[in-house]
Amino acid sequence: MTQMKKYQLGEFEEIVMLTVGVLYGEAYGVSIKKEIESRLKRGVSVGALQTALKRLEDKGYLKSHEGKVTEERAGRPKKYFQITAYGKKAMEYTKSTRDELWSAIPKVALDVKFS
Amino acid sequence: MKKSTPPHLPLRFFRWFCHPKLRDSIEGDLIELYEEWKAKSGKLKADLKFIGDVVLLFRPSIIRSAEGYQTLNTYGMLKNYFKISWRNLVKQKMYSSIKIGGFAVGVAACLLIALFIKDELLYDKHYSSQLYRVLGVITEEGNIKKGLAFPAPMAAALKEDFAEVEEAGRYNNSELFGAGPNQVRPDGVEDNAYDEGFVYFDQALLNMLNLKFIQGNPKTALLQPRAIVITKSKADKYFPNTDAVGKLLVVNNRAEQPYTIGGVIEDFKPTSHIQFDFLIGTEGLQFWEGEQKTWNASNYATYIKVQEGVDVAALEAKLSKGIIEKYFIPNMIKDGMPQTEIDKVFKEKNAHLKLQPLSKVHLYSSDINDNLVHGDIRMVWLFGGIALFVLLIAVINFVNLSTAKSANRAKEIGLRKAVGSLRSNIVSQFLLESVMFSLISFLIGLAMAGLLLPYFNMISGKSIVLPWTEVWFGPSLLAFALGVGVLAGIYPSLYLSAFKPIQVLKGNLTRGAKSSPLRSTLVVFQFSTSIILIVGTLVIYRQMNFILNKKVGYDKEQVLLLQGTNTLGGQVVTFAEELRALPQVVEVTTGDYLPVRGSKRNGNNFWNEGREDIDPGVSSQFWRVDPFYVNALGLKLVEGRNFSRELASDSSAIIINQKMAKQLGGNMLGKRIYNYASLWTVVGIVEDFHFESLREDIQPLGMVLGVEASVLAVKLQSGNMSESIQILTSVWNKFAPHQPIRYSFLDERYAAMYADVQRMGRIFTSFATLAIVVACLGLFALSAFMVEQRSKEISVRLILGATVNNVFQMLTWNFLKLVVVAFILAVPLAWYLMTKWLEDYAFRTDISWDVFAITGFTAIMIALLTISYQSIKAAMMNPVNSLRSE
Repeated sequence: MTQMKKYQLGEFEEIVMLTVGVLYGEAYGVSIKKEIESRLKRGVSVGALQTALKRLEDKGYLKSHEGKVTEERAGRPKKYFQITAYGKKAMEYTKSTRDELWSAIPKVALDVKFS
Repeated sequence: MKKSTPPHLPLRFFRWFCHPKLRDSIEGDLIELYEEWKAKSGKLKADLKFIGDVVLLFRPSIIRSAEGYQTLNTYGMLKNYFKISWRNLVKQKMYSSIKIGGFAVGVAACLLIALFIKDELLYDKHYSSQLYRVLGVITEEGNIKKGLAFPAPMAAALKEDFAEVEEAGRYNNSELFGAGPNQVRPDGVEDNAYDEGFVYFDQALLNMLNLKFIQGNPKTALLQPRAIVITKSKADKYFPNTDAVGKLLVVNNRAEQPYTIGGVIEDFKPTSHIQFDFLIGTEGLQFWEGEQKTWNASNYATYIKVQEGVDVAALEAKLSKGIIEKYFIPNMIKDGMPQTEIDKVFKEKNAHLKLQPLSKVHLYSSDINDNLVHGDIRMVWLFGGIALFVLLIAVINFVNLSTAKSANRAKEIGLRKAVGSLRSNIVSQFLLESVMFSLISFLIGLAMAGLLLPYFNMISGKSIVLPWTEVWFGPSLLAFALGVGVLAGIYPSLYLSAFKPIQVLKGNLTRGAKSSPLRSTLVVFQFSTSIILIVGTLVIYRQMNFILNKKVGYDKEQVLLLQGTNTLGGQVVTFAEELRALPQVVEVTTGDYLPVRGSKRNGNNFWNEGREDIDPGVSSQFWRVDPFYVNALGLKLVEGRNFSRELASDSSAIIINQKMAKQLGGNMLGKRIYNYASLWTVVGIVEDFHFESLREDIQPLGMVLGVEASVLAVKLQSGNMSESIQILTSVWNKFAPHQPIRYSFLDERYAAMYADVQRMGRIFTSFATLAIVVACLGLFALSAFMVEQRSKEISVRLILGATVNNVFQMLTWNFLKLVVVAFILAVPLAWYLMTKWLEDYAFRTDISWDVFAITGFTAIMIALLTISYQSIKAAMMNPVNSLRSE
């Protein structure tokens, strides 16, 4: 049980983590937002995203560093995110629990559902 | 495209609320998105979208915390302040302990005195505020005299004649009528016990005071003839574990006339001016035929309860006028007093009635001779003033030392300022430090107060306890500690925080200044206070000495007073004869009327024969004594002779004192004088002797023969006192086997009359010592500091050939100057104050120049001793030590 708690990851948080992984090295606020929006076809507010990013960083799943200052951002730096080893473990844990759950569903149930 | 920026207001809002760590990167994101949207869908949509994004960003994890970083920062600084304060405290042990010690002493003194004052102010506050004591005021020879003895029927008249008076009641505590101390026993018990606190008391007064009854009915307790109400402690003494109501008490062996207990009340609170234990009811009581109706004898203290909301000042005038016109004047006319004399009393001497609220009885009655134990509002002020001064001296030490040691902190302050401290930060740092000192001092002071409490109670005659359990005590103490801490810290903190960092760090600070004007002023103030207290102490002790050694006109040594002899009844004469036969005994006399306060008194008016309707009469004392009185007390007969037992005609003889003789016109020997009782022939005149306190002038006195003996005065041979007492005791036991012998000594009783002077002397000594100790601590620390500051200068002087003596003089003179100035300032003030104090005494010592000489010498010697330790140390040091570091 303690393990569960240790690696707790919300649905949106998981998506953010995965996206950061997908964007490997190029993940900063705007790019993550766009990636999620284009892949999942859903709108993401800056507020929601930043909240999730901050929480993940606080938990130690993500780390960040500031990039170069660019002109189109009026001199504001980009903050690039990277998955930490700990974050990777959390993602793996989440995936494995999902898989376990999937494999535990009896065939019948799925059949009924699909029929 | 470049020019257009996101809407200004939302952006500013965002920048305001966003956590500073996140601000830049998120703002970048927002701007990037904004540009994109603008390119795609135009400015308006982009603006709206931007606003929406900002609003959605307004959530807890993005918003910065209310205080942001500052919380952490202040906490860190506070920690640092405490650490530095503590290190400074520990580093300079001597200075710190003087600061804290002095402070603690001040706090302890203040605390004790505050409790004392609180206790004094609490007196009689538990009685209804509608209660008043009636006072009679008369101006005689420029002196206002107040009394509270009134004729018996006045209380009833007050209640009947004035609607504003709701209730009126009286008590009579005169020993003439058997109040005061008596021998007492429950009916059926054989052994007498001695008890004080008997009084005749109206049921109405019982009702007015609203006393709490433990047994019996409060409304009817004293309504039966020969009823008595006793306090709980006496009920426990005489009737333990039973219901006392209805039981009988025998007073002075008169078993045929016992008193029936009508009720038991709680003991009077210690903060009540009325303190009696046996309240005898006045129902059906009269001391002689018609006593309760006569307006000629004044023996009753009278209290009234006024209706709610009555204008007391107006009532006072109305009462006074009404009672005088309706009762006093007609009574005087009936007695045949001429109109001119009546006018003299009421117009010239302005005799009138006054109402004194009960809450003022305790502190504002020092000029009223009412046989009660009083506080004195002047003492309250005096104590309060002294407490304040001791605290002030301690605070001054604190301020002095803090600024004097400023040089040591200068570098710290400079550095703090250089790295960005504001002045306000430094101020709060030093305030914090001073509050810390204050809190530590308060803890120590509290402990000291606790330890000193028994001693303080002894000298102040109180029974105060520290009110730990009371809710207000802790918080108010804390508030006081903080207040004093801030007060003491304000000047040093402002002074220290004003240092300029560049100068300080360069080392240019005018180091410690030899004697800044402020510091000098403070030292002068401290020593002035100390000197005034020393003068006060000396004068009080001189007055005490004066009193104890004054020739009072009678011989008070070796006189033993045997009390409670009234129970012997007729046997008292035989008993006295038997004592007189003893070789250890010089003389025995009846001693009810003794020349010390607290013994029996009987005021009376005397006239020359045939002048009683013409003259106002000489108000004097009228005593009944026996033929041995004059010899036993060593009174000096200046004219005439003593009483003689052989002459039957001496039953109408009178011996008067010189004062009486003078007031009756002089040359009185052989003349006849009249009082209400009868005509007396003057057979002797004695030299004036002090039978009252030395505060008062000697009154006229007449003595006649009479056998009244509840006290026997026994003049003993000097020699083995304990053996004499043993022999007396054995004789006593033969006569009164059921009553333990009780005695005291005349000289002790005499000294007890001046217990308050002695108390005052002790208080002054204590506080003078305190003030001097605290002031010396301060001076010691200051001189140490000065020597430290000037060590290089001293070394150079020594090398250039200064002698130890030169250096010593140089260092010492600086401070001695201040003490001399303080002395010059203090002397007139002290002289004025003590002259005022002495004015209380009709007979007093003078304040001679040597009082000031002694004080000045003491102050200078103490100061010199304090400073010289440091000065000599500095002058004797090896100059190399302080110079080689250069």
